[in-house]
Amino acid sequence: MIVRIMTEGQYDLPGAFIDELNHIDNDLVEVVADENEAEFATLLKKMLDLVRENSTPVPIDELVESDLVLPEPDITLLEAEEVFVGEGLVPG
Amino acid sequence: MGLLSRMSVVVKAKMNKIVDDAENPNETLDYAYEKQLESLKKVRENITKMVTAKRMLMSQADKAKKDIVAIDARARKAMELGREDLARMALQHKQTSLLQLEGLDSQIYDMELEQEKLTQMQQRLQAKVSTFKTKKEVIKAQYSAAQAQVRIGSALSGLSEEMGDISLAIERAEGKTEKLKAKAGAIDELAEAGVLDDFSDRSDPIGRELAQLTAAANVEDELAALRSSLPTTEKKALGDGE
Repeated sequence: MIVRIMTEGQYDLPGAFIDELNHIDNDLVEVVADENEAEFATLLKKMLDLVRENSTPVPIDELVESDLVLPEPDITLLEAEEVFVGEGLVPG
Repeated sequence: MGLLSRMSVVVKAKMNKIVDDAENPNETLDYAYEKQLESLKKVRENITKMVTAKRMLMSQADKAKKDIVAIDARARKAMELGREDLARMALQHKQTSLLQLEGLDSQIYDMELEQEKLTQMQQRLQAKVSTFKTKKEVIKAQYSAAQAQVRIGSALSGLSEEMGDISLAIERAEGKTEKLKAKAGAIDELAEAGVLDDFSDRSDPIGRELAQLTAAANVEDELAALRSSLPTTEKKALGDGE
């Protein structure tokens, strides 16, 4: 499974991790709804580290589409909210 | 829908545009390559813009540093003349400049991080574009137009995704640069007016008050240090005046 972390690059992650990723993703939805800034940062880092630590990076000269796209490591809670409402990040 | 799927939607919305614009397979390849080169150029331009904005901040920081040196000299002179009131005013102004400098330094640091990130993304895109160029020529030579379309499909999606990622990063960086510029301008104005408490970026009232108290204590400490560094006769004169 090819996973992209925005601004960071692509990783080849064993498919077995998808459940864990989904689990964290669900928690993330909740903390974004609660506007819990601290918990958001913790969960996001947990999610990205899960990918970073269990995968092999895709060589930079390889051209492959991602199955999953994860937000950039420095995304703020406010920006994540915008992603959810579909504003700001996709103009026009 | 979770953040994961939303992120994919965001990136794909960006990348589809690049791919959908052309229809003829062979044209698609060349067109895509041109788009990639354009995209690379844009990234480079944006990095240049960031460097320019950073230089602006650095020259502001230099000016603040010079101001601080000048203020120190003024405060000392005022004390020598027995004008503690003027020295205190100068040192209060110095606290403003110090805060300004602190703010500028952290902004410069932020800009450096941003620049570093974009530079790395640029290198990645450069590598992918080179791969695409080779691949496209090989495919054009070996396959019919229709086959080429299929062969290049996934490579093109992969590359388009990279371009989607980088163009989103640029949008963010541009937004940040604009904000920083606006802030730098505001800080300049306030610093010129010598307003200490208005620009300290502390939203909580307690932190703000603490910052003001610290600044006031710093002023008194520096005054005391100046006082004790003066030759004894002048110190005496000052003491008499009190």
